[in-house]
Amino acid sequence: MKTNSNISQEQLEAIERYVNSTMSTEELKAFETQLENDSDFKIQVNDIITLLTGIETQSLREQLDEFHKEIPKQVPQKKSPKIQYLQFRKLVAAAVIVIALGSFWFFNQNPTDRLYSKYFTPDPGLPTTMSNTSNFEFYDAMVNYKRGEYEIAIKKWEILKIKAPNNDTLNYFLGVAHLANKNEINAIPFLEKSIQSNEFPLINDAYFYLGLAHLKENHIGFAKDNFKNSTLESSKALLSELED
Amino acid sequence: MSEAYKIDHQLQLINAIKANDQIALKKFYMSNYFKIEALVLKNSGSIEHAKDLYQESFITVWKNLKTKKFEPKNETALQGYLYQIAKNKWMDVLRSNNFKKTNTLTNETLAFLKEEVNDEPIEENQDKLKRTMNAFKNLGQPCKQLLTNFYYEKKSLRVIASELQLEEASVRNKKYRCMEKLRNIVLSSKS
Repeated sequence: MKTNSNISQEQLEAIERYVNSTMSTEELKAFETQLENDSDFKIQVNDIITLLTGIETQSLREQLDEFHKEIPKQVPQKKSPKIQYLQFRKLVAAAVIVIALGSFWFFNQNPTDRLYSKYFTPDPGLPTTMSNTSNFEFYDAMVNYKRGEYEIAIKKWEILKIKAPNNDTLNYFLGVAHLANKNEINAIPFLEKSIQSNEFPLINDAYFYLGLAHLKENHIGFAKDNFKNSTLESSKALLSELED
Repeated sequence: MSEAYKIDHQLQLINAIKANDQIALKKFYMSNYFKIEALVLKNSGSIEHAKDLYQESFITVWKNLKTKKFEPKNETALQGYLYQIAKNKWMDVLRSNNFKKTNTLTNETLAFLKEEVNDEPIEENQDKLKRTMNAFKNLGQPCKQLLTNFYYEKKSLRVIASELQLEEASVRNKKYRCMEKLRNIVLSSKS
């Protein structure tokens, strides 16, 4: 086995091009011929592909743990094997869960829900003058947004986002559209992306809506952090109500 | 027109997942979790089981998308596929002696186990891949960061170089040396 032999930088980069399908036709042809005829080379290539897969998979795994932290906690349901034989116990358990969930909602959700609905009004959107043709799609979606057709607006903006994943205006409106569409979980990542740059003209609005999204999700700590970063009057007012 | 639009949008989402786009991945992750949690909780599992199973299944789906083992036409198909994989994997867990030793299976779960199973996707090179993942997990931070930026986040060498305030050529060389380092750890961890 030659797997222990070193691999050159050029070889590594050739394999990268092979994996990413960015080889020229001639290079690919030569590469595939060598793969077929040289078993040591094949082992080496497979080795590197496994390395690349391992890096990506482990990175994804670590990212999933980050995502998971944002999944809202639910009240754990205790299970006992005896329950299924005793109907009335099942009912009692069900009642306990209902009461637990109910009081959880009553004590935790209620004040934040109340604050949220007191302060939340959808962002009015940007004026839709159709003069700039290059941004036609963006403003076309803005018309939908203003009509309250949030899902259509989101779909249209998401297509634009593939081309410009880091555009802060786009991310911001995707975020507020999700929020207006009562989908706070989806709103959060977009709004977070929109506040990456301090140059963003709507950054104070972005912090405010991001705070609201977290408030709705009952992430009080995150909500406060974001309200603190916004200079909007409503943000300060909301913050002082939260601090009380 | 709107139908073509829809198809376009769906393919964009799937392509974004394949390209490791963080927002697309997160959206897909967040929107499917509770279905899998419900499946596990209903069938003798805990919240912790649900998280592990979901992440394993999610990674399998992502991998099969990238290797074109599965090519969905739309998001619904992708969601269905994720659910099916999770279900198959959960059945495997339930059938294992290890699980039966520490957990009691309810009648409901026993009935669930009698349902038909679709073919579990066979994952090749599992052992080597696990060793690579483990080595990468414990790789020193500068190398780990660089390789994550380049291979997972798909940032170009130019972008990484400007972020690190280095020459592109030296980042290229660093990346190569980090790969050699990782490769040597994997090779020496061979049992």
